[in-house]
Amino acid sequence: MSATWRLLDTGLRRAAENIALNRALLEAHQAGEAPHTLRFLRFRPSALIGFHQSPRQELHLDACARAGIEVQRRITGGGAIYFDEGQLGWELYLDRRTLGTADMGAIARRICEAAAAGIRRLGVDARFRPRNDIEVDGRKLSGTGGAFDGDSFLYQGTLLLDFDVERMLRVLRIPAEKLSGKAVAGARDRVVSLRELLGEVPPLETVQRHLAEAFAEAFGVTLEPGGLNAAEEARYREALAEIDTPEWVHLRDAPADEAPLLEGVHRARGGLIRAIVWLDEARDHVKQVLITGDFFVQPRRLVADLEAALKDVPRADLRARVEAFFREHEAALLMLEPADFVAALEAALASPTTDEAARP
Amino acid sequence: MGTVRGCNFPDDLYYSVDNNVWARREDDGTVTVGLTAYAGALAGQIVSYTPKKVGKSVKKDKSCATVESGKWVGPVKTPVAGEIVAINDKVAEKPALINEDPYGEGWVVKIRPENWDGDAADLKTGQDALAAFEAKMESEGFGGC
Repeated sequence: MSATWRLLDTGLRRAAENIALNRALLEAHQAGEAPHTLRFLRFRPSALIGFHQSPRQELHLDACARAGIEVQRRITGGGAIYFDEGQLGWELYLDRRTLGTADMGAIARRICEAAAAGIRRLGVDARFRPRNDIEVDGRKLSGTGGAFDGDSFLYQGTLLLDFDVERMLRVLRIPAEKLSGKAVAGARDRVVSLRELLGEVPPLETVQRHLAEAFAEAFGVTLEPGGLNAAEEARYREALAEIDTPEWVHLRDAPADEAPLLEGVHRARGGLIRAIVWLDEARDHVKQVLITGDFFVQPRRLVADLEAALKDVPRADLRARVEAFFREHEAALLMLEPADFVAALEAALASPTTDEAARP
Repeated sequence: MGTVRGCNFPDDLYYSVDNNVWARREDDGTVTVGLTAYAGALAGQIVSYTPKKVGKSVKKDKSCATVESGKWVGPVKTPVAGEIVAINDKVAEKPALINEDPYGEGWVVKIRPENWDGDAADLKTGQDALAAFEAKMESEGFGGC
């Protein structure tokens, strides 16, 4: 007989409530008070930063305030996202024993592959892309991240049903904006929604059913709908009192000018490569890179995959990461070498930090 | 220096095997706390480090710092109770030191213990620790550092 996990749907909520539920459910699971759970959740318009991020570095806080977009800090890792009714959140609360591995990368991969299989049931070719994305033809359809406490963990992802790129760009302080006139096109090339892929947004119930069935199949379990138990309710009220506060949202609050956007250009034989590097100066750490230009690579998605591989990398490791990427990926480069990409990134890192660069 | 499946575990440290952390009593009576090489291998490269503030009291087996790797966030659970007396500025600048030198420059916090003898009695050291880590790795399906 297969094990039974709870299927929990907490509906449409404010960000603070959703994140307080993250903490409450993870703590309850770790304390042995909660069953293994698949949760679906949705958000009223929100800008969510990763646990270790600073709101001023990641978001246009004025724009959020003007548009009534709630700013919140997740308990999970990764980058800032804009989340609204056009997206579905999914989460698993499990422990390491259940998956037979304690390796965090392996856990993320297994869960993302199961989620991708569920999305494929909708008729789109969704695939896991290391380290944490689910993509279709190189365009991101779902981002993921996790938190653990002892043996228990929470792993969560988004799924873009319908997506308002312009709104995202008004909210997030991201390197794509540096592309000025091409900003929207640049960002649009990197993400994709089910509406765009299928021509319409499938009913929410259908999406949830396919995801649930795929998770149940991947982990050999049965899912049974259920609500919060009393212990979780109590932990939720306690967590909400801490999380629904400015102190939690601004737990880390480094100013924007400590995370400049640096731009560099390298003229290779095969064309011009423009690199934008978003650097966390305090940690000498590359948050994200964006690569554009008039060079030719095959497959086209290679650049998106390279950008994904270069998220959250210590500056000193950047060259090695680029070289490792090209060893692992089959690529046709027309009069280009991996070293040309390194040169463009290094040109960006060598460029002076200006006020203009710090304020995209 | 003991080794289990390629991961180092220095003989002179005290370990909480469940929480994958170590403690070392220093000459001045403080206790240095860090993550094991095994914890670093499971997490992958650590990219963020947020310790609790100096002066804050922490309970045994509760979080003394939060770390992030590959979009995973989790606590470092201190094996001893007490007051945090130092955090590691080098790790704040370069969190990957926790992976590269877990028992040296990659320490997480220093604590003035409330009851070292009491807390240390729950910790494992020497051969006991190595055997317990081998059993943990077996149950967690770990290939090796």
